[in-house]
Amino acid sequence: MEEYPEELRTPPVSLVAVVGCPELHAPISTHLHSEHPPINTLALPDLSSNTIASLLPPSSSSSSRSVDDSSSSSASPPVGGILKRDWLLKHRTRVPSVLAALFPSDRISGDPAQWLQVSTDLEYLKAALRGRNIKLVVVVVHSDSTDGINEDRMVAFRKRAEVESKHLISFVLSDASELKQSLERLGSTFAELANAYYRDEGRRIKARIEKKSFSSIELYIRYCFKVAVYAEFRRDWVEALRYYEDGYHGLREMIGMSTRLPAVQRLVEIKSVAEQISFKISTLLLHGGKVTEAVTWFRRHNACYKKLVGIPEVDFLHWDWMSRQYLVFAELLETSFMAGQSTLPAVLGTAEKPLSEWEFLPAFYYQFAAQYLKEKRFSLERELSMMEAVCLDDNSESVVSYVFVGQYARLVEQGDEFALQLLTDEEYIHHALLEGKRFQDSFEIIALLKKSYESYTNLKIPRMASYCAFQMAKEYFAVGDLSNAKKLLDSIAKLYRQEGWVNLLWETLGYLRECSRKQEILEDFVEYSLEMAALPVSSGGVTKSTCRECGPAGPATMSRREVIQKEVFEFVNGKSDLAPTEDANSPRISKDLPLCIEIDLVSPLRVALLASVAFHEQIVKPDLPTLLTVSLLSQLPQTVEIDELEVQFNQSQCNFIIYSAQRHQSAVASNSLPKSRVEVTRALALSANRWLRLSYDVKSGQSGKLECISVIARIGPHFTICCRTESPASMDELPLWKFEDRVETFPTKDPALTFSGQKTIQVEEPDAMVELSLGASGPALVGESFILPVKVTSIGHAIFCGELKINLVDARGGGLVSPREIEPFSMDNHHVELLGIARPEGEDEPQRGADNIRKIQQSFGLVSVPFMNSGDSWSCNLEIKWHRPKLVVVYISLGYSPHCNESTAKVHVHRSLQIEGKSAITISHHVMLPYRRDPLLLSRIRPVPDSDQLISLPLNEKSILIVTAKNCTEVPLQLLSISVEKDDDECERSCCVQHESEGLIFSPLLVPGEEFKKFFSIIPEVNSSKLRMGMVCLRWRRYLEPKEHSGTFSKGVGVLTKHKLPNATVELSPLIVKLECPPYACIGDPFAFFITIQNQTQLLQEIKYSLADSQSFVLSGSHNDIIFLLPKSEHAICHKLVPLVSGLQQLPRVTVTSVRCAAGFQPSVPASSIFVYPTKPNIEMSWSATEEA
Amino acid sequence: MIVCVAVVGHQNNPLYIQSFTEADDDLKLHHIVHCSLDVVDERVNNPKRSGSTLNETFLGLLYPTENYKVYGYLTNTKVKFMLVTTDLDVRDADVRNFFRRFHSAYVDAVSNPFHVPGKKITSRTFAERVSNIVKSFRLNPSG
Repeated sequence: MEEYPEELRTPPVSLVAVVGCPELHAPISTHLHSEHPPINTLALPDLSSNTIASLLPPSSSSSSRSVDDSSSSSASPPVGGILKRDWLLKHRTRVPSVLAALFPSDRISGDPAQWLQVSTDLEYLKAALRGRNIKLVVVVVHSDSTDGINEDRMVAFRKRAEVESKHLISFVLSDASELKQSLERLGSTFAELANAYYRDEGRRIKARIEKKSFSSIELYIRYCFKVAVYAEFRRDWVEALRYYEDGYHGLREMIGMSTRLPAVQRLVEIKSVAEQISFKISTLLLHGGKVTEAVTWFRRHNACYKKLVGIPEVDFLHWDWMSRQYLVFAELLETSFMAGQSTLPAVLGTAEKPLSEWEFLPAFYYQFAAQYLKEKRFSLERELSMMEAVCLDDNSESVVSYVFVGQYARLVEQGDEFALQLLTDEEYIHHALLEGKRFQDSFEIIALLKKSYESYTNLKIPRMASYCAFQMAKEYFAVGDLSNAKKLLDSIAKLYRQEGWVNLLWETLGYLRECSRKQEILEDFVEYSLEMAALPVSSGGVTKSTCRECGPAGPATMSRREVIQKEVFEFVNGKSDLAPTEDANSPRISKDLPLCIEIDLVSPLRVALLASVAFHEQIVKPDLPTLLTVSLLSQLPQTVEIDELEVQFNQSQCNFIIYSAQRHQSAVASNSLPKSRVEVTRALALSANRWLRLSYDVKSGQSGKLECISVIARIGPHFTICCRTESPASMDELPLWKFEDRVETFPTKDPALTFSGQKTIQVEEPDAMVELSLGASGPALVGESFILPVKVTSIGHAIFCGELKINLVDARGGGLVSPREIEPFSMDNHHVELLGIARPEGEDEPQRGADNIRKIQQSFGLVSVPFMNSGDSWSCNLEIKWHRPKLVVVYISLGYSPHCNESTAKVHVHRSLQIEGKSAITISHHVMLPYRRDPLLLSRIRPVPDSDQLISLPLNEKSILIVTAKNCTEVPLQLLSISVEKDDDECERSCCVQHESEGLIFSPLLVPGEEFKKFFSIIPEVNSSKLRMGMVCLRWRRYLEPKEHSGTFSKGVGVLTKHKLPNATVELSPLIVKLECPPYACIGDPFAFFITIQNQTQLLQEIKYSLADSQSFVLSGSHNDIIFLLPKSEHAICHKLVPLVSGLQQLPRVTVTSVRCAAGFQPSVPASSIFVYPTKPNIEMSWSATEEA
Repeated sequence: MIVCVAVVGHQNNPLYIQSFTEADDDLKLHHIVHCSLDVVDERVNNPKRSGSTLNETFLGLLYPTENYKVYGYLTNTKVKFMLVTTDLDVRDADVRNFFRRFHSAYVDAVSNPFHVPGKKITSRTFAERVSNIVKSFRLNPSG
């Protein structure tokens, strides 16, 4: 687009001329230029004849007019061309539509001499403009608003100027607002007049078209063009478009009809004009936002001229022209999109003629521009090569552009003057070839493709972009810019690899290979060659004859792959040079220049060599052999002979080398075997698509992970391929080959191993040669310090850096929780506590150095174990205390290293023990009243429903508290003391608790399950509804046999177990009933049976009582009676009883009822029983006998 | 005249590509088919813009180059068929008809129990059938 002249590229702008008063020209032209639409100003300083003459060259104007006019007559000379080259420029820069003459007012109103001068000037102007349509405007410049000119003089002036009154403008300079108004007045008048001028001019020519008053089609086209341009001046885009299209169609008709010029030049001229008109049309459409129409128009334009190639000698001109069409349209489209004038339409094209989305992308057109330019270059080169034979002398420098668009002429010297002489076709072809030779098309092509490529990339159209990049790279390759070519090719090869477009990849790699060969990058060359050779190119290759499409890779066939493989292997073996030519400097693989290529998991070279490694087992003991299968696969077409194969592990001592038998012999002969392990196999030959499987034993002495990292294949003396190994279980499919229909085999013989095989194996720790024993077993008793002896005995290993870790874990909590993760203040943890770790008595710690780590937390302990020789033992005691009954697992692990070297892996021994903490003793109690003495306790008779069922005790009466301690363990316990202590917070005793018997004189032994009872008497002294009875404190310890007394359990003061007694209510009993009878009776022996009722109240009590008969006794006294008891008195009822039957007999049941209290009383069965002897026993005697003794 | 037909798989990889020209422009045709995949992507992602209705297998004209026209077809298993022709005036109906026949040939080929889905189609019968379809398209005067 840049090569078009400015006047063609920009929309036409009206032109006016101002003359006179040069000091005003600058503000006027600035103002006019900022108008909408803008107006260009041609400033002429004065009215001298030169300026006007230069402005309006009378001869040219008149002559052109005469030509135009005469064309209507039939006898006119033939027209020289279609469009004049400078016509548009003339109207843009030299022929004004309006001429404004500026006169200062003082000259008009001045003396006669000045008036005369003004008149002369006006006459001159009128003469100059005569015969033209240019509008005249006269401007009177008033420097002051007050300097009035008289009416008569003004009228005279206007008449002299022959202008209408509205074209006589007064221009006032006096102040800014006046000036602005004047300028605006001037601008609007100019715009109006310019419009009129262009309309008139257009109309004049349009009339000729309508009258068909033109002699040739050329003139018709010219008229159409002019009308359209005048319409553009007026901004009448619709008319402009119509006339441009008319002209364009006229031009199309001209093809094949015109004979004015020699054939070649004729076509060149037509195309040049068509180009200009088409450009105008496209611009107008795009400016109007009609993208779809513009694209459709371009399509039509393209279709019209695409076939007009012309004679083969100059077809390059056609391709050049085509390329330019695309380029210009692309640029127009791009600017239009960038300026936001057009947006992509929602619906593309019409239903019948759909446009594809690409036709709206500038990149599409750039791409074609490049393609046609390539076509041009191809034709041009062909022509030039043909012309080489015919000498191409450079004598056409004098060829210049002719007056008409698209025509060329020779400048011929004729005496002092130059004349233009039209060319013959031969001369023209000669000239065009010479011109064509001057240009470097490659760079142009690259620039076009680059634009296209960038645009496609930005729009995320990857494949189109790749295609552009590929073409670019080809151009770079052609001009020798290899690094740029390589960069592009590398990027597109990635896409082709990913999508499996083998043929495209083949071509790309062919270029890459050639680039690296030329740049002498050995590694790349070998890599690209190997990849090419391993590509899945269809083997059925029908070798087609070479063509220009084929790149340096040659045709993609099996045989070509084989050739490439052969070439590269000869090269890596040092048998041939990089360049096929006999260049002495060409690098060659040698001792000084070894080559190693790496193949990792994502490398495209996996197709060339794939190493899959599988251990047959997942876990192995140290120093035991395990089987490893190394499988290699290559897709190279020919068998690859590997000299040696080194298998590398993360534990380098496991590395080994596999030699082929032949190579091994030569290595042995030259005594160059390496120190590491060597294996020999018959042959290391890799044939295409067949796994080479090698299985060997591997032994590792080091525990941990053993991983096979890489397999290094050595081919020839100086070439290695380092291949990262892959596990068969997680191996990706081969890129590209995965789409091929080929036989797939497993890397290992055992298919199961293929699905599960891994390249890593876990080497276990060596077996521990240390015994760790825990000396105690449960159950532990709550409250005691439970001693857990731990013994470490070495049975083969010396122990270095030994460390004992102890963990206490709630058995129900599940799992072994690392102690660091447990919250340090977790309450739950305190139920069981690790109190300490102690050395057994007598074995004092020999060293208390800094390395003697000892850390104890509530549930975690760490203690270092001193150095021990094999056979030694060491022990310690763990002291654990249970606060609550709980099941706990004690985990103990010993970590040590068997060698003094700290870096060697540690060996671990773990033991765990489940210990249940149990409560040792359960304490229970109950309270009893004294025998046969029953106070009436109302609360017992009528319990309050919502009371908390406290024990009721009578006030000031003695009650008996029986405390029972039961051993619930499975070991004998020894009781040390038992007492009832008052509560800690009780300040004053509210009751009196006494030992009924003496304290524990000796420590009673409680066997498992045995109960121990202790009596206390309680006399409540305070009437309280809530009597605190205190706390039973029981001290006990585990009973140990004398031989066990070695100190495993701490003796101390024993363990204190406390039992809180419940609260009791104390109440005053109104009545107390006592039964009195002898301890035993004899048959027939009468005894007295007293029932004593005591009234403790201040009231008279009415008591009813009854006595039931009993078969065992004869009874004297009343059965029923009512007695009245005075306050604070007692009444005894006496009965005489004679027992009739021996044995334990029920006394007659007595029932006492207090009317006031509405309470009845019946003594309990045991209280009303008596034992009757058949005869009087002589217990007393014997007892007295003992006493006597 | 049809110059090239192609079957393109899920990963935009060619499953079958065959050219029917005398001139050795395989590579160029491969490039054209490959570039046309961009348009297929665009059409599939923006079905509204290109005006095609939902569930329409025929994708229409994909890529107008100077000398070739590329048509596309998308099966319901997302396998793409491509057709490159040098005829400048082709009726859509003919192309649809071609694709329909091509599709049935493809279905028969992949129904072969020995064919592994996702691999290239190497069946000779398929190749012959495609070649016949292409020939008949050429003979068809309306096409």
